[in-house]
Amino acid sequence: MFEREDETVERVIQHLRRPAAIDPGLDARVMRAITQAPPYRRRVWPLWSLLAAAAVLAVVLIARPWNRNATSKADTLQFVLVAPQAASVALVGDFNDWDPARSPMQTAQGVWATVLRLAPGRYRYAFLVNGVEWRADPGAPAAKDDEFGTPSSVVTVGGRGS
Amino acid sequence: MILAALLLVTQVAAQDPRLERLDPDTRSAVAAVVDSAHGIGLPVEPIIQRALEGATKGAPGLRIVAAVRRLAVDLGTARTALGTSASEPELEAAVAALRAGATPHVLAHLRDVRRPPLTMALSVLADLVASGVPADSAAAAVLALAPKAGDADLVEFRRAVERDIALGAPPGAATSVRLNAGALDVTNSSGTPGNPGTPRRRPRP
Repeated sequence: MFEREDETVERVIQHLRRPAAIDPGLDARVMRAITQAPPYRRRVWPLWSLLAAAAVLAVVLIARPWNRNATSKADTLQFVLVAPQAASVALVGDFNDWDPARSPMQTAQGVWATVLRLAPGRYRYAFLVNGVEWRADPGAPAAKDDEFGTPSSVVTVGGRGS
Repeated sequence: MILAALLLVTQVAAQDPRLERLDPDTRSAVAAVVDSAHGIGLPVEPIIQRALEGATKGAPGLRIVAAVRRLAVDLGTARTALGTSASEPELEAAVAALRAGATPHVLAHLRDVRRPPLTMALSVLADLVASGVPADSAAAAVLALAPKAGDADLVEFRRAVERDIALGAPPGAATSVRLNAGALDVTNSSGTPGNPGTPRRRPRP
């Protein structure tokens, strides 16, 4: 079976190696066709060009690709609070719109914990215990500029090998 | 058309559905601050978050409005000091540093000596002051470390100072000692864990 296939391949190769006969007038006809072709004319649509430029400008202004931290790396952080008497603990802060429903914490023998992935930035946060009691993170830096009369903490994700 | 697009963006910012958690009067006043901030190119997300913090904590509307106005002013001061290319995280951290007692001159100096982003350096400055370190000592320490120290080095420096303070050292002296004794080398090799309650960075998978 293989010998027959080899013979077929060999015949094809021999056929392809035969010099092809080209009409001696081919070159002249091709060159004539090229010289007689109408010149390419770019059609300009002023309105569409203006709209496209405006769209690009708007995207650039809104997205601000020159923003230096736009592509910085996020970091995964674990938040922990020891509260053996608590029935519920929620983590609330700048990273979840201060919404207690967004980051409920899980407990294991009174140690409440949750994990969040945060983009680079400085975030204020606090723990809401039993839905009524605000607690700062005892081990994190305190937010000194608390203007609402309850304790808060801060965490910073640097975005440069922090 | 570009102007219309920008106006549309402004309206979107002012009508952020998250602000519906505020009462109508407070929402209107906060939206005006957000609009003004957006109009001059300041980041609005920190302002919105401060309003939401107040709402969740049950603060009176007048206090929320005062807080967001003050924040908008401070963001403007921070941007003046750091320049228009400063990012939102940098501006937020700069506000914290300003409120901790750093001057706009210190912020500008930091911008000149450290490659961006400046977020961590500014935060460490603010956190040192929060730990009791005098503002001028904290600023001097961060400015001294800023040209060469990485973000992780700055965090370790802050933790080392906080440990020394917790052990009874005067905050200013703890800062000076750690700075003069090559605190980075000491803290990097100590292997001592940070405070147990501090959010822990988890290794990347």
